[in-house]
Amino acid sequence: MPKPLLGGEGEKVFLLGNEAIARGALEAGVGFVAAYPGTPSTEIVEALASVAKDLGIHVEWSSNEKVAFEAAYGAAMAGVRSLTAMKHVGVNVAADPLMSSAYTGVKGGFVIVSADDPGMWSSQNEQDNRYYGLHAFIPVFEAYCPQEAKDVVRDLFDFSEKMGHPVIFRSTTRLSHSRGIVRLGKLPRPKTKGVFEKNPAKWTLIPQYARKHRVRLLEKWERIKKELATWPYNRFISNDSKYTIIAPGIAYGYVVDELRTLGVEHKVNVLKLSSTVPLPEDMIVKVLEVSEKILVVEELEPIVEVEVKRIAYDHGLASNVEIHGKDYIPQYSELTPNRVRTAIAKFIGLSVPEYSPVKLSGLEIPPRPPTFCPGCPHRSTFYLLKKAVNSLRLKPIYSGDIGCYSLAVLPPFEEQDIIIEMGGSIGAANGLAHVIDQPVIAIIGDSTFFHAGLPGMINSIYNDAPMLILVLDNRITAMTGHQPHPGTGMKATGEKARIIDIASIARASGIEYVDVIDPYDVSDAYVRLRKALEYVVNEKKTALVVAKRACSLLVHSMALRKGIVTPLYIVDEDKCTGCGVCYDFFGCPAIVPLSNGKAKIDPAMCTGCGVCAQICPFKAIRIIREGDKSWKELWF
Amino acid sequence: MERTMVLSRRKTINMVIVGVGGQGLITLGRVLGNASIISGTNILVSEIHGLAQRGGSVIVHVRIGEPNSPLVPLGGADIVLGLELIEVVRYLEYANHDSLFIVNNRVIRPSLPKVRAPSPQAILSKLKELGLNIIAINARELAEKAGSSLSENIVMLGALMGTGVLDEYISLDHVKKAIKKTLPPRWHEVNIKALELGYMEAKKQIA
Repeated sequence: MPKPLLGGEGEKVFLLGNEAIARGALEAGVGFVAAYPGTPSTEIVEALASVAKDLGIHVEWSSNEKVAFEAAYGAAMAGVRSLTAMKHVGVNVAADPLMSSAYTGVKGGFVIVSADDPGMWSSQNEQDNRYYGLHAFIPVFEAYCPQEAKDVVRDLFDFSEKMGHPVIFRSTTRLSHSRGIVRLGKLPRPKTKGVFEKNPAKWTLIPQYARKHRVRLLEKWERIKKELATWPYNRFISNDSKYTIIAPGIAYGYVVDELRTLGVEHKVNVLKLSSTVPLPEDMIVKVLEVSEKILVVEELEPIVEVEVKRIAYDHGLASNVEIHGKDYIPQYSELTPNRVRTAIAKFIGLSVPEYSPVKLSGLEIPPRPPTFCPGCPHRSTFYLLKKAVNSLRLKPIYSGDIGCYSLAVLPPFEEQDIIIEMGGSIGAANGLAHVIDQPVIAIIGDSTFFHAGLPGMINSIYNDAPMLILVLDNRITAMTGHQPHPGTGMKATGEKARIIDIASIARASGIEYVDVIDPYDVSDAYVRLRKALEYVVNEKKTALVVAKRACSLLVHSMALRKGIVTPLYIVDEDKCTGCGVCYDFFGCPAIVPLSNGKAKIDPAMCTGCGVCAQICPFKAIRIIREGDKSWKELWF
Repeated sequence: MERTMVLSRRKTINMVIVGVGGQGLITLGRVLGNASIISGTNILVSEIHGLAQRGGSVIVHVRIGEPNSPLVPLGGADIVLGLELIEVVRYLEYANHDSLFIVNNRVIRPSLPKVRAPSPQAILSKLKELGLNIIAINARELAEKAGSSLSENIVMLGALMGTGVLDEYISLDHVKKAIKKTLPPRWHEVNIKALELGYMEAKKQIA
């Protein structure tokens, strides 16, 4: 099938916001891309990786966001147009080089994409990364739809190069994960080779140089503000009204649609903003001069609102204009049509239009939290870990981490007592181990281990913090949609890579008890998990166990694509007693209870992992279809 | 069906597709998007990735016509396309009493210990008590008839097209072409058949 991302000029394609961002970078001739996956940013670099070979550009999944940032920054120092993309909290990991990049500036255009997650659809917080722009003196840009995202990102490379300064393109979940029709522009030949010109006064931030950079940075910030006066994606739509709505980024779309819903689209002015940090000050002053009332509709923090108020004060306009923002739009979660509609109605003095949603009473429906997929090796590991812990009468603290395995916080497992951030499992265990009497189990995924688990592991050995480090190695970064990592044996572009072996790193770091278990070999894995726990409790030393089995979702979809027949299991109704171990305590979604409590396997969902057959106390589950031979090779 | 005529005259059609992660809701949205390109209609489809996909509750917002923003307002869905009945109930606040419900006559048990799930009959009769406009499709059965139980999503897309609500924007033929553009070749035949079976079933129910 042809790749829509490589479509010709003028072609219209249906793109995910993230794919549109990727295409924008390609239309700017991006030559170097590095990132660590994280929802909602992942598909940007996934899309770029899928065309890297076609265009001869370098695209990589780096081991974490800091490394990705530094790699792209380094390439930009040598004059190659570079992009890095990460989720909002990923920018925290990369914050150190981010701050410095504003001091040194760059040579090649350097675009940092921060994909924020208002509403916390797949995140631990909803920080507004436009603050990073204010904090670091890096301009921040936004867009309201996939088409504009593509165009803005393309033009940002020029802007960055012209100013010799990094730029942040801030997306949010509803832009990154909305699909729309995008008209493509020209695809130039990318420049992939650069030259690094030695210049210590520019590139080394020793105090004597950094002090000069700091002064120059403040001057540059003023130049950037002036340059933004002509940024074409800021637009004032005047209706000769005394009322103005300021709509940065995605808010613009909601404002336009809801003004129409309310039938007042010709009664207010709209200032559509794409450059939100710093604000185009002259433009804001003009808006302040013609307005008596202003409403800033923005998602999360009042960043534009506070700046508009500051500008009004500085220009002596504060007493002539009433400025609203977070008093009308909630500061938490994402914008919605209803929120924007209510705010606008209140702003212009209309009654909020009623709507009558359908209400159903007298029917309770159960919640449906996300769960481990059928065949997920994590399910088996958590099931066996709990069994091992109970058999030893331990009451451990489970220090958890970020990934699919975070789902074990929910019943029936409840084996994640702490979930903070990437790598936090081992990190927090380093403190707990010194101050509590119970054993500590740090549970971390393979990709997360490479990302930020390593320094914590080394610290636990150095500072004698005994813990069981359980690495759930499903051979891939699963949660974000299956990106390879240093332990996978594959690069972002699909090329073969060296496998960095987690058990070997642990041994080399001085951990004396290192084991690798297969969660599908139920009795063996159980015995070995018990042994490792006993070691940690008795010896008061750190042990590391790798539970290694590939992600079932990935393997199963590969089998489906290749037409490989997978094994199938069935419940023998005569033997099944309806004890519920398989559907209630193991919790495989492919197994459902019948009205008599007996179990039934849904053949459309069974992946053939065979774990249920091993854990059934009554041996009531058996195989009825052997899988193809190639099946076993696939599920390494 | 007088109601479908009313819908078609509107500028932007608001639809929510609800179901369970893994049922192919995102694929459904992609097919609709490609069908819109082929027909020359504008469309925005908003979805959620990451955690929400792991067998969890999923809602996809689809806006066809002249959308500038990605989400369907509460009480603003012209169409609820439900791939699973518990999820149809969960997202009822997006619907209003004029919404057209096209639902898969199926309940998927949430994978929680000791959970009690209502039966499809119980949910459907409750919805019908409210006087809602509902078309219920046995999508699993039709998908299996087409050759794959995984094609429930496309059966439901067929049913959507069969109701005629999108006629002014997208035709069945546009959707067929979009399936060929969106899915790998080995799945074309099964899914075209699934689409047609869903289409005919909805037509039959309306007649």
